[in-house]
Amino acid sequence: MNTYAALMLFQHAYDPQAPVHGAPWLWFSIIKILVVFTVLMVTIAYLTLAERKISAWIQDRHGPNRVGPRGLAQPLADGLKNIMKEETYPSAAYSPLFILAPVMSFIPALITFAVIPFAAPLPTPWGLVDMSIADLPVGFLYILAIASLGVYGIVLAGWSSNNKYALLGGLRSSAQMVSYEVSMGLAVVAVLLLSGNVSLSSIVASQVATGWYFFPLLIGFFLFLVAAFAETNRLPFDLPEAESELIAGYHTEYSSMKFSMFFIAEYSNMTTASARLTTLFFGGWAVPFWTTVDTAPWHWWKTVITLVCFMIKTGFFLFLYMWIRWTLPRFRYDQLMSVGWKVMLPIALCYLVVMAGAILALDAAGVAPSARFGDFVPTYWAILGVLNIVLAVLVFVVLDRGRLVSPASARVGPSELAELRAMATRGPAPAQGD
Amino acid sequence: MAIQVKVLERPIRQTSYVRAMLKGMAITFKHLTNPHKVTWQYPEQKWDLSPRWRGTHRMLTDENGKAKCVACGLCPQICPANCIKLVPGEDEEGNRYPLVYEIDEFRCIFCGYCQEVCPEEAIHVGRHYENSEYSRAGFVYDLERLMAQTHPVCEMWDPADPRGE
Amino acid sequence: MADAQQVSLTIEGRQVNVPAGTSILEAAKTVGVLIPHYCYHPGLSIVGNCRMCQVEVEKMPKLAPACQTAVAEGQVVHVYADRALTARKAVLEFLLINHPLDCPICDKSGECELQDYTYREGRAVGRLQDPKRFNPAEDFGGDVQYVTNRCILCTRCVRFMDEVAQDTVLNVSERGDRAVIGKFEGKDLTHPWAANIIDLCPVGALLSKDFLNKSRAWELDRTASVCPNCTQGCNTILETRDNMVVRMRPRSNLDVNHYYLCDEGRLDYRWMNRTDRLEAPLVRRGDRLAATAWDDALRAAALHLNGKRAFVLASPMLSNESLWVLSRIMKHGGGAGGFRVRREPEAPLPGVPDLARRAERAANVRAAELFGFVKSDMPLAGMQEGDVLIVADHEVAAADAPALAKASAVIVIGTTMPELVSNAMVALPSTNVAEEDGTFTNLRGRVQQYRQARAAPGMSRPVWWSGGDLLVFLGERAGYYIASEAFAALAAQQPEFAGMSYDSLGFRGQVLAGQPVAAGGAAR
Repeated sequence: MNTYAALMLFQHAYDPQAPVHGAPWLWFSIIKILVVFTVLMVTIAYLTLAERKISAWIQDRHGPNRVGPRGLAQPLADGLKNIMKEETYPSAAYSPLFILAPVMSFIPALITFAVIPFAAPLPTPWGLVDMSIADLPVGFLYILAIASLGVYGIVLAGWSSNNKYALLGGLRSSAQMVSYEVSMGLAVVAVLLLSGNVSLSSIVASQVATGWYFFPLLIGFFLFLVAAFAETNRLPFDLPEAESELIAGYHTEYSSMKFSMFFIAEYSNMTTASARLTTLFFGGWAVPFWTTVDTAPWHWWKTVITLVCFMIKTGFFLFLYMWIRWTLPRFRYDQLMSVGWKVMLPIALCYLVVMAGAILALDAAGVAPSARFGDFVPTYWAILGVLNIVLAVLVFVVLDRGRLVSPASARVGPSELAELRAMATRGPAPAQGD
Repeated sequence: MAIQVKVLERPIRQTSYVRAMLKGMAITFKHLTNPHKVTWQYPEQKWDLSPRWRGTHRMLTDENGKAKCVACGLCPQICPANCIKLVPGEDEEGNRYPLVYEIDEFRCIFCGYCQEVCPEEAIHVGRHYENSEYSRAGFVYDLERLMAQTHPVCEMWDPADPRGE
Repeated sequence: MADAQQVSLTIEGRQVNVPAGTSILEAAKTVGVLIPHYCYHPGLSIVGNCRMCQVEVEKMPKLAPACQTAVAEGQVVHVYADRALTARKAVLEFLLINHPLDCPICDKSGECELQDYTYREGRAVGRLQDPKRFNPAEDFGGDVQYVTNRCILCTRCVRFMDEVAQDTVLNVSERGDRAVIGKFEGKDLTHPWAANIIDLCPVGALLSKDFLNKSRAWELDRTASVCPNCTQGCNTILETRDNMVVRMRPRSNLDVNHYYLCDEGRLDYRWMNRTDRLEAPLVRRGDRLAATAWDDALRAAALHLNGKRAFVLASPMLSNESLWVLSRIMKHGGGAGGFRVRREPEAPLPGVPDLARRAERAANVRAAELFGFVKSDMPLAGMQEGDVLIVADHEVAAADAPALAKASAVIVIGTTMPELVSNAMVALPSTNVAEEDGTFTNLRGRVQQYRQARAAPGMSRPVWWSGGDLLVFLGERAGYYIASEAFAALAAQQPEFAGMSYDSLGFRGQVLAGQPVAAGGAAR
């Protein structure tokens, strides 16, 4: 009886549907940090295997299949190897920064994950536990802020190595980051316009309510996707590494675990970026067409299902990263700059204006965000989506004529081009023979 | 003379980056799902060597188990890599035989001239490729080692039968 | 000969002017056309039995044997006419009927005339199906092994023994295809010059037992040298393989040895490969000799010599340059010098004038005497109490031991440490005849140069080099770093050598000034 009484007392003290607070909040936070960190590290380890496997399959090979069953222990072997390898310190390197640089790219990559809501809240005897480490009210700004910190590691690594290739890699990285951060931020403003809140959990909640944002913000999604590739230095934007030009770019001089940390940072950036894409445009942990799961009252099975859903969505984007990496060749530096400044930025700006206008118009017309056309399709969502498809057709069909990613000839001015064309039609010079 | 630059007026399907990208991704995805892989699973699956494959050497022996070599000195002479060391000597029956016969397989370029020049059909390049040692010295094959090799030997190109039929 | 009538003819389109009586073969040699031949040898009588030298001569009805046909005015000779080539090809085919194709195990392979001419003019594939004649190999005595199967019966060896050695041992036994070279009953190849038939043999029938299976001809590096084993000074070729002298062969010099080299001389080369050599300069530190740098050793030697009389025991095997430098060291303190030379019976080669294996078995007795070293059986007799004794590559016999004790210090310059010398203060390593450039003066006063054939071991230097440096330490003008430099200094200071240089010596040598021309071939 005493036990039951205690339990009753317990239940009176804590409401499972009310947010957890007090000391349990602290304990849960610590547990969440440990679990998320562990899961993330294991994921990253297996992402390296996935990357190698996918690249192998795309190239009609088998990929690593010697360590463990079907090569599944390969990440273990790789990790062990990296720990056992010799640490090299170039004599001309500036060692404080040389040692600090991998840490500086490693940590921001990990802490971004702190604000991502990765499942529906979990009700416990001590209250409702948020399935994100810290649901910051300004979660979105936090993401933008931290994501741009990662570049310091790369730039410092490039500079402190005292190696020309590393330095070039670092320079490219900083230029790339500056160029694409702007478009990324602008692309996401549309999300904020739609959700009206900067906390990530609210963004997820409003997507549950009004439909996922990738459709009404199709262009914004695309811009964000491209910028995310650029921010993570993944192909076709891997200019800082560019092994065919810069040996290994900023981490040329790194070995062993310090190199490993850059590696982990890259994959953890990828994971975070995928999680961000999921959260901002694909409804976060929301399960499609099953509103019961996505809404209160919460239950542990809802948490599990939404967690799986989140993982599947993030996994898809991770796969997309790899798929694209093994498909597209690297941009030239001039293409990178012109895509960033001459394509992405103007489109993002115009898009923002158009979307803001459209939302204003819809509000003025009195269309409520939660209104549904018929019984199922959200009206607001559908109208913006159609508008976006029109814009997408404009961008991808009209604009994409050798201008999105330009060939070398596009660097030539129109008058010179006309002259060259005229020369070409005149035929070869007499001395040339054939 | 002006430099001739050919500038093409290309159709949109060739200039559109997004189209090209999607096409490329379709191709890679097709390969991704293709179950037929080209990798040879090496230690389990082995290459079928050509009869004219030239690998590490083998010294053939006569019916008494002695090396066929008579130390004529033609192989060290023809060897372009200078990897054969031969010191001729005389055995107890007064026959010429190699006192020292060593081939540095690291220096060897596996041209097969030694086999081609050998008047006694003694030294042969082998149809064999799995060589590994723990030391460089291990790749200097002495006469005993060359005689102990058991792999099949190379069939040299025969001008009368150029296709090896 | 100079006033002999000159004949002019055309050989292979080239104009040739030779004295009347010259054979076409010799005339062709003067314009660089080598007519294949086996039985012909310039040092032997002409027999014309191999038929290999047949050439076409215009207006002659048949092919002419070039070795036997004297030149005639206006002759036009076609060595490579189709008819001649066909005939020679046939000759080669006949020779190869019984000659085994055992080139891989034949020592002559690579320097075999049958191989060369077959390659040049013979058939690629033999047509004979029948088995070849077989005869067992035979030991001919001396250094000579006769491999009967390979013999092509050119009879050079028979003629050499008859005409040059004048010791009739060999003959052609049997007839027809059974013919072989045989020895007369009870006779053996014991003549001291008999091994020359090995060089004369155009094929691998007569082989050196010493050289048997040692090396292939193409692996040898050949160096022009002079035989150091007696005062005759025969010209030789030193053949080395992997830095080891493996064979010594005669080099023709019509002024000295014609085409020949005695058996003892040709086999006495092993000492050139000795490995128990002095390799670094040694200086006495307490009770042992310690290796040191050249300058240290030379300084130590100069300190011992300073103000003292030097007695130089100089080997007559040393070069002119070395002996001259040693004589300057000797004269520096007003010293003296001597040497001993081994004497053996003289063995002449009757067929060649003034050619013999000389009694004095050392190369440079003539120069040693010229430079003031006294030849004596007890060379140390002239040494005074308190002299510094320099032993320059000279052997020290037990009889010399008492005199050794008189020396105030002993300096050894040599290839090895003499066994009986236990109290040397300084030892300077030197090179032997195969390891340096230099000149010898033979007993007729002919100065001939030899070339370095193998690398000098360790830090050893020729005596003219180390001795010259020692002179510098003693305050004289010396210091020679190449042999021709030392020889130029010698020629400048010794009137007998006046006007000589390595260039003027060439490979035939020059006779000392004021030297009566010897009765032999020196007339040329």
